[in-house]
Amino acid sequence: MLTVLIADHDATRAAQLEQSFRDQGYTVADVVSSAFDLAAAVAKHAPDVIIMGTDSPDRDTLEHLCIATRDCPRPVVMFTPDDASESIRAALKAGVSAYVVDGMDAERIRPILEVARVRFEEHQLLLQNAAETARKTHERSVVDAAKQKLMAHQGLSEDAAYHAMRRAAMSENRRLVEIAESILQQLGQSS
Amino acid sequence: MSNQPHDSQIDVTSSSPENTRRDFLKKSTGILGAAALMNLVAPGVRSGAWAAGSDAPEKTEVKIGFIPLTDCASVVIASVMGFDKKYGIKITPSKEASWAAVRDKLVNGELDGAHVLYGLIYGVQMGIGGPKKDMANLMTLNNNGQAITLSDQLKSKGAVDGVSLARLIKAEPREYTFAQTFPTGTHAMWLYYWLATYGVNPFTEAKVITVPPPQMVANMRVDNMDGFCVGEPWNARAIHDKIGFTAVTTQEIWKDHPEKILGTSAEWVAKHPNTARALIMAVLDASRYIDTMSNRTQVAKIIADKAYVNTDFDSIEGRMHGQYENGLGKKWQDPNYMKFFNDGKVNFPYLSDGMWFLTQHKRWGLLKTDPDYLAEAQKVNQIKLYTEAATQLKIAVPKSPMRSAKLIDGVVWDGTDPKKYANGFKIKA
Repeated sequence: MLTVLIADHDATRAAQLEQSFRDQGYTVADVVSSAFDLAAAVAKHAPDVIIMGTDSPDRDTLEHLCIATRDCPRPVVMFTPDDASESIRAALKAGVSAYVVDGMDAERIRPILEVARVRFEEHQLLLQNAAETARKTHERSVVDAAKQKLMAHQGLSEDAAYHAMRRAAMSENRRLVEIAESILQQLGQSS
Repeated sequence: MSNQPHDSQIDVTSSSPENTRRDFLKKSTGILGAAALMNLVAPGVRSGAWAAGSDAPEKTEVKIGFIPLTDCASVVIASVMGFDKKYGIKITPSKEASWAAVRDKLVNGELDGAHVLYGLIYGVQMGIGGPKKDMANLMTLNNNGQAITLSDQLKSKGAVDGVSLARLIKAEPREYTFAQTFPTGTHAMWLYYWLATYGVNPFTEAKVITVPPPQMVANMRVDNMDGFCVGEPWNARAIHDKIGFTAVTTQEIWKDHPEKILGTSAEWVAKHPNTARALIMAVLDASRYIDTMSNRTQVAKIIADKAYVNTDFDSIEGRMHGQYENGLGKKWQDPNYMKFFNDGKVNFPYLSDGMWFLTQHKRWGLLKTDPDYLAEAQKVNQIKLYTEAATQLKIAVPKSPMRSAKLIDGVVWDGTDPKKYANGFKIKA
């Protein structure tokens, strides 16, 4: 069963949440009320899901943790006291795993957490793909720039410059982009 | 095609002044000084365009988020003193519990704009650790007025400034914990910059956490933290509560540094350019009002209210007037107190200011590769809109979108080579 961590500065609401999750058979690792304890609790319990109110001042602490542990972030389920479905949908689009309207009943917890987990995984995949695309674009531009340098500097044709770089990469057993980077370093990046 | 204004000149006879101006501005690309740009148009033409009635705000009620800090003053004053009405809009300040909430609400459009950390807007622009969306900086709200507080515990160990703190950290290694307010925000960057100036790597030689501003003092009281960087009034409060002292003010790190901005999304600006301009004008009026020093006591009274900063008036007022004491017995009148206007020098959205936050995001590994610094700053900082608003109010606009400053470590930042600057620091992630 999933382990959840509840962070809420409102003690009454936190107690209600804790009860709801326990009733559904979840393990509640901890209930924390201050930002400082949150950091420690996340590190200690490594919860599967973090439950927090959208109106919590501790959200910034969670942001920091998400950036600090970018390689192993956790899904977050947010509770919002206002019932604005538009804003919830927009928040979902913005990458928050799940927004939940306050006053939910216990039976709704399971599907919500499921949705949160699935959405979170989708989002992680999306982020990975975006990073991969950005990396490829960046590498292509570096290789292009190096090729231009080489052409100007050595008076080579485009083809010849590219092949020279390919050959160097193969013989040195390095990636093409690494060769390109060292060419740019040697020949200077400004045109 | 004959109906279209000629490419290289302004068609002042066009039946739609709005289109004319828009076309003209669209053509004036590049980073030409915005003031110079406006001066190209004869004054008669300019006022004709403004008076044509096409500048009516697209949206007349705007909800502007703020976090309870002294520097939310101009947004609050624009509403409380009715500067908004002058420009046909109504500002409703909306108190927010966290910067993350401000960010989400700017991204999903629940807020029209917000008093927000400069670096946060650029973090969203680049998609650092959260949603990625094209953002906009309408104007800078304030310079200066933040500080780094160290605990009285450190003082008893002899750490009273950067040099002695670094000495203590090296001599008695343990987990030294420092707090800031948001991972991509301004306080994080001031804290990291300051520690690194004295040879302390904030990530390997210290522990950095994020704590909401109103919780800073309470956490230091229970010995959770060795230091924090935050906006006023919380540094003054730490002294008042006898738990810490001001080790350095942020104006000592960078005199007249950019701090909070009036942020929104690029999409919002595209949909509501006239409202955006009216909003800038209302907040500029408020900024000018606050920088008239005789008004500051009244301003402090207004913002101390529980609807806004919710703290005692004394914690706010002193430093707003530049009256500093550091909690170690030193008192001084600081000429570089928190400024909201300074004849408009505070408010111009300098491209070099925006780029600086990107360079620090790169330095500390929040950005993995160098972005196109200049292009991003040009996208985010709304120089044209700001210039139109400021020119209407006869507020001077600088000739260059870059400015130069020497920071506390002696390194000069002038915006000319951001990539070299970002990668040139000895201490980095």
